[in-house]
Amino acid sequence: MRMLLKKELRLSTLLLTWLFIGFAFMTLLPGYPILCGVFFITLGIYQSFQYAREANDVVYSVLLPVAKREVVRGKYRFVVLIELLGTALMALLTLLRMTLLRDAAVYRQNALMNANPFFLGMALVLFGLFNTVFVGGFWKTAYGIGKPFVIYTVAAFLTIGAAEALHHVPGLEALNAFGFDHLALQLALLFLGALLYAGMTYLSCRKACRDFEKIDL
Amino acid sequence: MGIVEVSGLCKAYPAFRLKEVSFSLEGGKITGFIGRNGAGKSTTIKAMLNLIHADSGNVSFFGMPLWGNEAAIKRRIGYSTGAVCWYPRKTIREILEVTRGFYQSWDEEACRNYRTLFGLDENKRPMDLSEGMKVKFNLLLALSHRAEVLILDEPTSGLDPFSRDELLELFGTLKERGVTILFSTHITSDLERCADSILYIRKGEIRAACPKTAFLRIHGQTEETLEEVFLRLEREARE
Repeated sequence: MRMLLKKELRLSTLLLTWLFIGFAFMTLLPGYPILCGVFFITLGIYQSFQYAREANDVVYSVLLPVAKREVVRGKYRFVVLIELLGTALMALLTLLRMTLLRDAAVYRQNALMNANPFFLGMALVLFGLFNTVFVGGFWKTAYGIGKPFVIYTVAAFLTIGAAEALHHVPGLEALNAFGFDHLALQLALLFLGALLYAGMTYLSCRKACRDFEKIDL
Repeated sequence: MGIVEVSGLCKAYPAFRLKEVSFSLEGGKITGFIGRNGAGKSTTIKAMLNLIHADSGNVSFFGMPLWGNEAAIKRRIGYSTGAVCWYPRKTIREILEVTRGFYQSWDEEACRNYRTLFGLDENKRPMDLSEGMKVKFNLLLALSHRAEVLILDEPTSGLDPFSRDELLELFGTLKERGVTILFSTHITSDLERCADSILYIRKGEIRAACPKTAFLRIHGQTEETLEEVFLRLEREARE
């Protein structure tokens, strides 16, 4: 399994994917839907899928001495690695906004989502959505990337729109907490997001392994 | 019992069916796999390697069923198919460095020797290789981990006569070392020279699986070459 991840990183990953992790810095943009950073990180992963398809990566991997399902798991591990690196960077920047920048006027006058644990939880939900809709969709054919990415894009922007506006609903103001306000609720939402991410990724990977066994390369 | 056993392999596509394909490959022999374009050679080979999902049938290597022992089997076999371009933008060195990590039996010296024999510059990228050199690169990947069984789909297509000659000589040497080779090709003169057995497929059905001499004796007429026998059989089938 370690070798498959090494193969992913050395042969199938575009530099662009690593650079797009930098979109995590969108967390610092004032007056901007910061969850869009997650979308751009997944766009970077998508680029590597596109490159890997042109490089005959799936067939090459299946010919290596590994079981077919391991090829799928290897790809999921690569995706999760990029997503967790992006999340870690967003978490650091969120912490910066929660501490040193908590009273900065540009963030206080923000109509959109604030960077807090709820934001990180939603970021993980979006990554989970990407793993379910795009990555899972890819393994139905091990070739088609356009349709699953379009579906994911629509679902992602609907989710981003809802998440960015949710705190305007009366009673949900606490979702937009500043600093360490409503910390218990915020952490619970982050935990829930992490749980959803793990669940969606696990179930998607399991289904993708089954789907991939049935397809012809 | 053969080193490779294929039994009752079926695969249905809308316009083509692989029908109960069964054969076995004897250890240390070269088997030529012949048939027209679309007869089912590549489908059979892909099903043997789990690249396509067979509707029914069994494939076993070294007495182990493929399903459930995929990794263990793939460690001991090599596969090469024509001029497929793997990772076109990476260098051959990068691809080899990653690939060798998957095989405990990787033979670095053999890899270096084959690279020299094939004239492959490891700083080149697959996208810069000619079709013939891509074939050689694929063969290099298939040969460098001391595979006991080689499954070669059109390995000599696109090669110049000199390279083909060298390759056939290499197959002979590998056979002497006990390597089993399944060699699918349209260039029947190559099989004339190196094959011990013939596997003949037509419209998804195995029509003959026997030693080359027996194939020529049963299906051929006096002084007919393998190519002439193959052409005549196909013409007769069409009529």
